[in-house]
Amino acid sequence: MASHSESIIREPLITGKNITYGQITDDILRPVENMPGKAWWIGFSVASLGALLWVVSISYTFWFGIGSWGLNKTVGWAWDITGFVWWVGIGHAGTLISAVLLLFRQNWRNSINRSAEAMTIFAVICAATYIGAHMGRPWMALYSLPLPNQYGSLWVNFNSPLIWDVFAISTYFSVSLVFWYTGLLPDMASIRDRATGLRRRIYSVASFGWTGSVKTWQRFETVSLILAGLSTPLVLSVHTIVSMDFATSLEPGWHTTIFPPYFVAGAIFSGFAMVQTLLLVTRKVLGLENYITMFHIESMNKIILVTGSVVGVAYITEFFIAYYSGGEYEQYTFLNRFIGPYWWAACMMYGCNVLMTQMMWSKKVRTNIPISWVLSIIVNIGMWFERFVIIVTSLHRDYLPSSWAMFYPTWVDVGVFVGSIGIFFTMFLLFIRVMPSVAIAEVKLLLKSASEQAKKKQIAEGHLEPAHVEFYKDNLIKFDSIDHSEYEKA
Amino acid sequence: MDNNKKYWKGLEELDRTPEFVEKNKNEFAEPIPIEEILSGDGLSAKTPRRDFLKALGFGVGAVTLAACQRVPVHKSIPYLIKPEEVTPGVANYYSSTYEGQAILVKTREGRPIKVEGNPNDVFAKGGLSAQAQASVLDLYDVTRLKDPKLNGSDAGWSEVDAFVIKELAAIKAAGKNIRLVTSTIHSPSTLAVIADFIKQYPTAKHITYDAVSYTGIIQANQNSFGKAVLPHYNFDKADVIVSFGADFLGTWISGEEFTRQYVSNRNNKSLESKKMSRHIQFESGMSLTGTNADNRFPIKPSEEGIAIISLYNAISGTTLPGSKKLANKSVDNAITIVAKELVAAKGKALVVAGSNDVATQVLVNAINSLLGSYGTTIDLDNPSKQYAGNDAEFVEFVHELGRGEVAAALFLNVNPAYDYFKGKEFKDALSKVRLKLSFSDHDDETAQLSNVVAPNHHYLESWGDANAVEGYYTVIQPTINPVYNTRQAEHSLLVWAENPVKDYYTYVRNTWNNGLLAKGGLSGQKGWETLLQTGMINTPANTAGSYTFSRDLNAVAQTILTHSASLVAGDGKYELQVYQSQAIGDGKRANNPWLQELPDPVSKVTWDNFAAISVADIKKLKLQEGDVIRVEANGYTVDLPVLAQPGQAQGTISIAVGYGRTNAGPVGDNVGKNAYPFYSFRNGTFQTTAIASFTDTGIKSPLAQTQTHHSYEGRSVIREANFTEYKKNPATHSGNEGGHKDYNKESLWDDHDRPVYDWVMAIDLNACTGCGACVVACNAENNIPVVGKDEVRRRREMHWIRIDRYYSYQEEGKSESITEEYEIDKLSNFDRVTVVHQPMLCQHCDHAPCETVCPVLATVHSSEGLNQMAYNRCVGTRYCANNCPYKVRRFNWFNYWNDSRFDNYLNNEHTQLVLNPDVVTRFRGVMEKCSMCVQRIQAGKLKAKIDKRPLKDGEVKMACQQTCSANAIVFGNRNDPNSEVSKALKSERTYYVLEELNVQPGIGYQVKVRNVSELEA
Repeated sequence: MASHSESIIREPLITGKNITYGQITDDILRPVENMPGKAWWIGFSVASLGALLWVVSISYTFWFGIGSWGLNKTVGWAWDITGFVWWVGIGHAGTLISAVLLLFRQNWRNSINRSAEAMTIFAVICAATYIGAHMGRPWMALYSLPLPNQYGSLWVNFNSPLIWDVFAISTYFSVSLVFWYTGLLPDMASIRDRATGLRRRIYSVASFGWTGSVKTWQRFETVSLILAGLSTPLVLSVHTIVSMDFATSLEPGWHTTIFPPYFVAGAIFSGFAMVQTLLLVTRKVLGLENYITMFHIESMNKIILVTGSVVGVAYITEFFIAYYSGGEYEQYTFLNRFIGPYWWAACMMYGCNVLMTQMMWSKKVRTNIPISWVLSIIVNIGMWFERFVIIVTSLHRDYLPSSWAMFYPTWVDVGVFVGSIGIFFTMFLLFIRVMPSVAIAEVKLLLKSASEQAKKKQIAEGHLEPAHVEFYKDNLIKFDSIDHSEYEKA
Repeated sequence: MDNNKKYWKGLEELDRTPEFVEKNKNEFAEPIPIEEILSGDGLSAKTPRRDFLKALGFGVGAVTLAACQRVPVHKSIPYLIKPEEVTPGVANYYSSTYEGQAILVKTREGRPIKVEGNPNDVFAKGGLSAQAQASVLDLYDVTRLKDPKLNGSDAGWSEVDAFVIKELAAIKAAGKNIRLVTSTIHSPSTLAVIADFIKQYPTAKHITYDAVSYTGIIQANQNSFGKAVLPHYNFDKADVIVSFGADFLGTWISGEEFTRQYVSNRNNKSLESKKMSRHIQFESGMSLTGTNADNRFPIKPSEEGIAIISLYNAISGTTLPGSKKLANKSVDNAITIVAKELVAAKGKALVVAGSNDVATQVLVNAINSLLGSYGTTIDLDNPSKQYAGNDAEFVEFVHELGRGEVAAALFLNVNPAYDYFKGKEFKDALSKVRLKLSFSDHDDETAQLSNVVAPNHHYLESWGDANAVEGYYTVIQPTINPVYNTRQAEHSLLVWAENPVKDYYTYVRNTWNNGLLAKGGLSGQKGWETLLQTGMINTPANTAGSYTFSRDLNAVAQTILTHSASLVAGDGKYELQVYQSQAIGDGKRANNPWLQELPDPVSKVTWDNFAAISVADIKKLKLQEGDVIRVEANGYTVDLPVLAQPGQAQGTISIAVGYGRTNAGPVGDNVGKNAYPFYSFRNGTFQTTAIASFTDTGIKSPLAQTQTHHSYEGRSVIREANFTEYKKNPATHSGNEGGHKDYNKESLWDDHDRPVYDWVMAIDLNACTGCGACVVACNAENNIPVVGKDEVRRRREMHWIRIDRYYSYQEEGKSESITEEYEIDKLSNFDRVTVVHQPMLCQHCDHAPCETVCPVLATVHSSEGLNQMAYNRCVGTRYCANNCPYKVRRFNWFNYWNDSRFDNYLNNEHTQLVLNPDVVTRFRGVMEKCSMCVQRIQAGKLKAKIDKRPLKDGEVKMACQQTCSANAIVFGNRNDPNSEVSKALKSERTYYVLEELNVQPGIGYQVKVRNVSELEA
């Protein structure tokens, strides 16, 4: 392995001195093998309270009816579907990171894919709760599955994008879950090997009897690759289908062909932002600075910048097409985004998603952790407003002016949404306590080729172009996890 | 061959070891503890084997007993002996009468569930008002009085009778006055009962009091022509109609009848023969009639008299003393042109005024006389008997009460404690009366003050008759046994008068046998039965005589001018006008939730009254809609939310009466504020105008409006033309200038199969006046829940049919309309407003956008062109509603039938009896919408099938269509080229709303045509 060194110009993916395989395991499993700290408890308490709010709000809705929300005859979807699309979008980064970046051999994904995938699973769970909750009669939800029944040939309506949604989301969820858990197997085995007693037995079952033999590894690699191949189209298909909930309808503001690519870009955009939000905190709190480095942070910021710009182009295209189509209703809908009563929502959408992310052209911004963190949150606020604008601003003033109406959320609307964030964080916080939040096995793969110490060794061995080495060293300046004094000496 | 081979099972057997030999003795190698189990431990164990069955038996028994919790028993009682006329599942119709109008009452299994117009009715020919449609719900009102009351507590009828007779006898003996106060009564039998009562008690006097009265017109006719009658107007004979504040299509005298007459000169049929009447309205507040006018001019109440004088001057060519020009130039101009048009249409012209002022009405009589209206558009010889109230008589009665001259006051169908303008004076005066008796079926404001309440039947429980217009006699027959221990008022009067005939049914029979039946050429039992079937006798009308006005007008003009001058409001003051709202009227039916939730046709406000102020004034005062203002006039104040009313005359406020009931019942109590105290009494009649001032209270009370955006933004959903253009090209502005467009030419999809029927509808925007009767009819037919004020505020009303009302504006000197919000915002003058009403309901699109998006196929297309809802399949994703371009789908946000938080007054078993059993009620979480009365279609098809004949065109009528006095809605089969609807849809005026989306809607609308004259110079 050591013989296969990476080019020196590439930035290191693992920093720190004297990192060994053992130490990687120790570092990553520290939160799993020790009692949680104060920060975790505080976070968990807040998140659980949020989850409790969700339980209360959802129970209230189920008991009294959808009327507990602020919807009306004109605006039939608002915070519910906004929340649904928002969560599905967030759930996109995981698969993109684990599948697409795997296929493209982007090794830096190894440190972040685990959390990103976990986040995906939890986000999709949050999204799925909305599918049930927004129904008027959720106890009849089984009608939306193509089940054999006593009514002869009564099927679901395969023309309806909501049915495509059911298939898309469930497929995505199951594939993501399998992919995630497959990746977890060797790491579960690591925990098992270091644990004793009941804990050992639990992890023993959870690791599916992983032996660590060459054959096992080989099969593991093959399965990972196959699943990556399977998941890749899903990255595109899920949000394409979600966008079709809107694109195939007649509503001005919904009925546009640009929605599939626009939604996919937006989903990746918001997904990466959420990964960024979580990892910047996790990295600090769990002390994983050596494995999630400034390089990772900057890479993700670049993706956020690119997808944010794609979304921006989509916004401009929408406006152009509304003007160019000559469609009276469509034109009004887009004008209404700015001159209508929901102008502030559109300002939030365009401001947060396009204007704010353009700041990332500056390297200083990309490599500044506090600013990156704030921006990542701004992106998700913006993306929430994007869905709100698409759904509510389009619906509230469509064809017949007599039916134009306003939407005002109730406490239950807010409770369900804030509560879903609570659910998400509860699950995420539990996850980092019971499972390794960084893929141990995959990070270890990088140690000999792409770590700081490997590079240092390479430099020490000589045989490198001095200009390349200089370039490498210059790039290290931005890293907050590197002892820069060493390099000045060198 | 013998086989001597020996096999052994093991070495032990071969060796025959002692252990083996020992073991082999027994059947089983190992000892089995059978004995032990049977005798020893086996049976003495904790749960012995033998106890298994016992335990099982006990267990099953115990579980069964535990499960046998008492479930509530609902006894359904079958018809053991089936009444001959009642077949479960088949409706029976009985003819009866609602306020003088012949109706048919639909009953199912013995309970009336719907009121429908009698097609032979002389007033609306089958049309019916919203109030009449809603009246059936009052029958099931659980807050009706269940027993008579004596001194505040429930009593039996015998006690009440004994008490009343004793009191009346004592009063009679003492020679003290008895007063019987009623609203207008035109029933021959009731009038006879009252006459009999007065005969028995000679000190008794019958006083007629109408809360909203027409004394002014009656007195004016007495003055002008010596006939104290309310004339019968013929709007169908008028080519030019000028109305000064008379809401004749709505609340004025006989709205349904006038609607039918009026529309007959403006509907498709009339337009096709290139005929259309012209209607000019001068009024302060925007009335339903004003919204339909071709030209409408806002004038202040103080200008009305001057305007009428100017009109008289212009027509007669004389100048009445004291005449002055109107300050408003455009109105003054209009009057000159209107006068010319009226004169040109002499004999086919009609001028009406809504004022209750005698002098004003005398002047209007003079104008009509000059125009030759008597004998043509106005008929004094077949007068209307719908209103006969005498204001002065009632005021005198109150004075009598105050002087303590009355010993007994009986109130029948009147509620002066609420609707008399000096309520307090009345209450104080009434306390001096010895016997106060109310016939009210509710413990209403007047009943509260009475020592005896003798609750009357609901009219659907009553016998009776009516004679609402000369020569037109109708019968009232009960359609259900009295629900509560009530008694018909006439019966009570007969008992108290100790009449030989105490049973009112017999009394009615006698009345009819003694003359009335003979008028219709009927006689005897058979004649009576015929009457019960047809419901009416219509004797030939008297010849309408022509009358000439010949009285001196100088004094009249003087009175009008003085009155007008007294109405001129000073700085910071406003001229107040009190009117009746279309839904609630005079307030008698305020406890009816269907009516409370019926949007006002103009303002679209439900569950409230409000202070309507002109848009310009609102802007000037920097008020917001929904700000509560304190209005003060005639020493009375009310706090009401303000409404910006386009077309309202600047400097005026309009407030509806009929609200602010305090003892109407749980629905009507404290809805809005009482505006009756703004009335005044002047020159012998009640006046509805006053000078008011107001202040902002700083409180907000958002109005519950079903429509909050009022302009149609230049969209082609509304298409309008003027009559001049129409005459040149009937297709003008309809989008069909080059023939009907086929948007479906390039469709990718196969059309649905519609082999036999293709149900569609045609709605004539020129016929629809926007009254809203269809909304209530649909409520009754389709069990549509009432949701209440808060839910309407959240924009969640459930009506399957609504009437969209749009305002557009004209700028001075420009002909095109301004319909877009941002342009309207820039306007400073909101006086020149035109209004269009558009009934909107499920369009039953052939390419229905709702159908493709439903994930579970809960809404599908029928083979008859209907878009259907399968409620049981619906999971409530609301996608269909979002994707409906017409926004006609309604979601059950809550379980409106059974959710105690939303007491919509149908949450009790008794009121639920009003439900139409042919239409299922919807559970929460499912979508619903107009079904095109599919139950009626099925019933019609079934009937045709039983008769072995094809379904006839017009045999099946939609509930909305049936109640429409204007016949604006035509329903039928498009596959039949000769059907009424097919013909209507072929009209050049027909367009489809949002047809460019190619959703292929099934409802065609016909362009609104206005006969606009160039009145403004």
